[in-house]
Amino acid sequence: MTDLLIFAIFFALLAFICVYRLVKGPTAADRMVTGDNVDILLCCAMILFSLFSGRGVYLDIALICALFGIIDTIAVGRYLDRKGRFHNADSDHH
Amino acid sequence: MLIRIIIDLLIAVGLVFACAGTIGILKMPDPFSRMQAATCISTLGMLGVAVGGVLYAAVIMHSAGAAIKIAVIALMIMVTNPVGSHAIAKGAYSHGYRPEKKMETDDLGRDFDE
Repeated sequence: MTDLLIFAIFFALLAFICVYRLVKGPTAADRMVTGDNVDILLCCAMILFSLFSGRGVYLDIALICALFGIIDTIAVGRYLDRKGRFHNADSDHH
Repeated sequence: MLIRIIIDLLIAVGLVFACAGTIGILKMPDPFSRMQAATCISTLGMLGVAVGGVLYAAVIMHSAGAAIKIAVIALMIMVTNPVGSHAIAKGAYSHGYRPEKKMETDDLGRDFDE
């Protein structure tokens, strides 16, 4: 029974280590990739903690966490894409 | 008791892959290499945890709802994560980020003005 808690703590620890790159990452793409993976690692930790504690609420939280993770990843990807394209068009015309 | 050992082994394999992905995120030089290393976490790490969790919920807890929920979470992450990775990679390339080393072939580069 306790092994699931230990695994969950390890996954949360890995997510906490990733926060270093999230703060320090030089570019916006680095931060977004790391943020996506912090999201997935916390999702894994919440699944394991839900199995350990026997409460289904954590599974709902993990589901919503995964859902919003992919939405903001695609949003930031589109934002970077749009920005680069406008910049290129500007530099062409001038 | 054998099923507990199998579940623990599956989750431990997932943890090993998640650890490898985290080390890759910390040590790789540019966003594209980091993306390539981080794929470890979202495919194999997530798959180990999800299969172990589904087995635990179905066999030991006898709870079909939890097993189906975990399967849905794993399926959603595995289907949507490549889409997000493609969006980030194309956005980063079009924004002007380039890999550290000079690329041998650059098929996407001819679509943008260089």
